[in-house]
Amino acid sequence: MVKKIAMYGTYEAEEPVKQRYWKRRIDGVRQRYWKRTTQNKKVVREGRYEFHGTGKDLFKAVVKAQKIVPKRFVDVSAEEFLKHPERYGSEGVWVERAVES
Amino acid sequence: MREQSNPKYLFGFTDTETVKLDFDDTPLNDVNYWARRTSFWFRLGGFSVLKSSENHYHAVFNRPVSWAENVRIMAWVSLLSGKKPLHRWFLMQCIKQGSTLRVSRKGSKPSPRVVFRYGKQDSQIKGFLEYRKLVKRISEKIPV
Repeated sequence: MVKKIAMYGTYEAEEPVKQRYWKRRIDGVRQRYWKRTTQNKKVVREGRYEFHGTGKDLFKAVVKAQKIVPKRFVDVSAEEFLKHPERYGSEGVWVERAVES
Repeated sequence: MREQSNPKYLFGFTDTETVKLDFDDTPLNDVNYWARRTSFWFRLGGFSVLKSSENHYHAVFNRPVSWAENVRIMAWVSLLSGKKPLHRWFLMQCIKQGSTLRVSRKGSKPSPRVVFRYGKQDSQIKGFLEYRKLVKRISEKIPV
């Protein structure tokens, strides 16, 4: 049985602004595409980490997760998160808002 | 008295084998009634009721179950009790494939504390309380 510690809430992070553009395909259809621009915008989102592992790893993961906010819903072992935190989250800050458990 | 930090994120306990229910906007008598009825109907052995805030309670049951049975029990209570917040919480747990109850403080609300016990407490409830202690210890130690 896996018991997990859930760390959840609302966060503020920066993400690249996406810009749409159209290109005419060979068959004549006008296709819409999206590209990432160099600009960043601030977004407020809800996210959740679900960590499992030993107490020591959990503590370290939680300390790290204070500054690295999750990419939406992240279910990962604390050990794996400590090895590659950039895979599971990005830099941001937690903000105080009401969230569903 | 030690000063408690108030972080902006919340901590919860998640697993699939413990039957948990989140009763929002429900008086304690109703919570006890539904917890007792569930415990008898599904032979869950016993339960603990934790007070989250005024008229907000959590119930944790003793017998370990599979996730399929856990969903069955949560659905049974949420359907028969007709409580909308419980139904909403239940749907959220189905999406996550694991049930979560809050352990830490939430704004001005304190962390949930046990207010009522019934029947056996030696299996899942014991595990829940132990893990809750671990989570609390972690949340207290975190440098803010």
